[in-house]
Amino acid sequence: MRFKAGIQNINTFNKFTASLASLSPVAWVRLDETEVRFTVIPEQGTQVWSVLSIETIFEQYTIQSAADNVVNLEVPLPSLQRALKSALNATSANIRLTKKDGLPILCLTIVSTSNAPNQFSAFGSTASRDDGPSYDDSQISNVTDGLSRHRETIITQDIPVRVMSMANVQGIHEPRCREPDVYIVLPPLLQLKSISDRFTRLAMTSRASASGGGGTASSSSSGPKLEMSANMHGCLRLGIRTDAMNISSVWTKLSNPDLDPAVVEGGDEGVLQHPSTRMKELGDAEGRSEEGWATVRIDGRDWGKVMSVGRLAGRVIACFCHEHALILYVYLSNSDEDRDVSVLTYYVSSYSP
Amino acid sequence: MVTLDFTLTPEASGRVHDALTCLSRFSDSVSLEARREKLTLVALNSSKSAYAAFSLDSNGFFSEYDFVPESGADGRFTCQILIKALLSVFKRRLFDTGGRETGIERCEVSVQDQPDQTECRLIVKMVCSHGVTKTYKLTYEVVEVMHALFDKHNSRNHWKISSGTLRSNIEYFGPKTEQLDMYYDDNRMVFTSFTEKIISHDREVLKQPLQTAISIPSDCFEEFRVQEKMHVTISVKDFKAIVSHAAMKNAHISAHYSRPTRPLQFSYGTDDYRCEFTLMTAGEYNVTAAPSVAHKVSSRSVSRNPSIPSERPNGATNGATSASQMPPPSRPNQREKPRSFGKNGRKPVAEDARDESPGLFVTQDEDDERTWQPPNFEDEEETLGWDASADNDAGFHPTFRDTATARAARQEAQGVEGFEGLAPTQRLSQIRGIW
Repeated sequence: MRFKAGIQNINTFNKFTASLASLSPVAWVRLDETEVRFTVIPEQGTQVWSVLSIETIFEQYTIQSAADNVVNLEVPLPSLQRALKSALNATSANIRLTKKDGLPILCLTIVSTSNAPNQFSAFGSTASRDDGPSYDDSQISNVTDGLSRHRETIITQDIPVRVMSMANVQGIHEPRCREPDVYIVLPPLLQLKSISDRFTRLAMTSRASASGGGGTASSSSSGPKLEMSANMHGCLRLGIRTDAMNISSVWTKLSNPDLDPAVVEGGDEGVLQHPSTRMKELGDAEGRSEEGWATVRIDGRDWGKVMSVGRLAGRVIACFCHEHALILYVYLSNSDEDRDVSVLTYYVSSYSP
Repeated sequence: MVTLDFTLTPEASGRVHDALTCLSRFSDSVSLEARREKLTLVALNSSKSAYAAFSLDSNGFFSEYDFVPESGADGRFTCQILIKALLSVFKRRLFDTGGRETGIERCEVSVQDQPDQTECRLIVKMVCSHGVTKTYKLTYEVVEVMHALFDKHNSRNHWKISSGTLRSNIEYFGPKTEQLDMYYDDNRMVFTSFTEKIISHDREVLKQPLQTAISIPSDCFEEFRVQEKMHVTISVKDFKAIVSHAAMKNAHISAHYSRPTRPLQFSYGTDDYRCEFTLMTAGEYNVTAAPSVAHKVSSRSVSRNPSIPSERPNGATNGATSASQMPPPSRPNQREKPRSFGKNGRKPVAEDARDESPGLFVTQDEDDERTWQPPNFEDEEETLGWDASADNDAGFHPTFRDTATARAARQEAQGVEGFEGLAPTQRLSQIRGIW
């Protein structure tokens, strides 16, 4: 079993890891010859199934295993994130799967030029040092390279991982869900996050004060539920309802992407029969009508963790299955022309009212 | 009767604050040792494996310094104070105001040891602008101060490096790692943070902290004479505390050590303000590897054996030997806890709350790590409202609260609240291996 790669886009990889780490401390990482998958299934809350093209985060990628060159690993996300953080200012970073003391580890080797004040200067710093290493005259042409190599700080981070067998992973399936009623592109997540966090917090305090500050606010099973609705006319509504209040924010003029008949079951006919086509006939672009909304009720705290993906600044399409589930597709590339297939899929459950 | 009076400039007071912060990483209490030529702040950790000392020169550091020892004494005055109490007097925000006026003109400290007054009080007067003077009276305890002795001459391994270089690297050490191994090979000094805890259970493997190795080329060091292939181990926490403090001063840290299980000393500073940390080291010393591979070791004494006897009599930092000579310092009495810091306990909380203020459409830095962190609804104080500082439980006037209905409603909500969720494609128990 072999896995070795250079890391490119360390910043993206770091933000990606951080987004997943907010939901669960462990990810199932599946590496094969064409793509990298990170899957997070917390015991409670939102699942994330993500697929990254290899070039999104890796370069010079080598993968080998007895099982059709597929490697399945369990990776602790906080450790991975910490390791990647130390690579943010690196000149180069490599990752490989290896063993230490009989235990599998992901080893990150990070090379960075140190920023010491007495750093390598163009004026041959070795000359002034009598105890510094001396360079062979025959290597004069390589002196500059040699010097900079000598000024490099190398950081190695060993992340303990577990190798999963095929039998381990065969039983894990992506959730299946009925065709959604409404598709909509979410507004900038920074806006959405600050408002939803505020709503959640408000609901928690009003709850805490209403119940005399009892333990309800801290037990996650009964945390506040955000009500999220969208219609096929570019409206998104986010609200929260408690005994004491009922607040909501409405976004309008968002876009509802068209379905591609090529990927819908049944082609053009399938699109015509699709629930979202029927939803188009209801509601209006101002969001005034009570018709045409697909609504889900989601856990406020869990949503706060989901919104952490906003750091990746990708385009997010939300799919509403009325009273059932909310599925978010987070695309890493913002342009449509880009053929990059990297996408994170979030499965958020809806609670009954 | 002892006289000890000294005056600090605002800048020097700030440095006292920094020293106290650093010392607080080692111990709960600080010992003061006054001599005519210097005042020393000392902390020794509870396992007596780490000793930190800040020596403040009586002429260079203080604007005034007056010390008259008790007649018959050995020319010293020693006492011990809780660091927390001192830190509440030497608060950071008093000195670190980001370039603005500090508000403090000077700081006068005196020891009150008169028989006709309350005994054992350290009196700190903060003379502020606009004629305001804040006076703090702290209780001290007269104790003997334990010093770690260190024999630099027999510590043939030595390096010196800018604290900035170390500072930029120590943050990569995992927060849960405990030990730091230092090792020199192939022209590179390698610092490895690790945990010795052996994890037997398969499931626990992933909880093992990161092991981080930072390899710095010896060229990055200003001075470097280190024996190759020798592992010396100290505590990560101590190292971090030292480097963080040194980096604030932009100091260049010197390390001196001989071999594993012998003390190691970090030092930096000027004659006015000298910082010394003596730490016990661990590790296995491989004698056979010693003299032949010695690299850049001073020519003075290459052989190892002679150094051992000379270290023993005077170089004992070993806790056991020191402890047998001196009485252990007793804990300051809880009952005598000075009143002055009770009120200040909440201050840092308020500062944090200000930082965390959540914005509604406010410009936020998109690249700020914190912006994208899921909010911590438990710990953060609700900042919205008129009475954010007050107890959240009392958000509404109690008379408006109908507790009975609220509780009933809550129970009802919990009962009805079913989890509809996604169509289950599988049972949780069918998924093996990922938890």
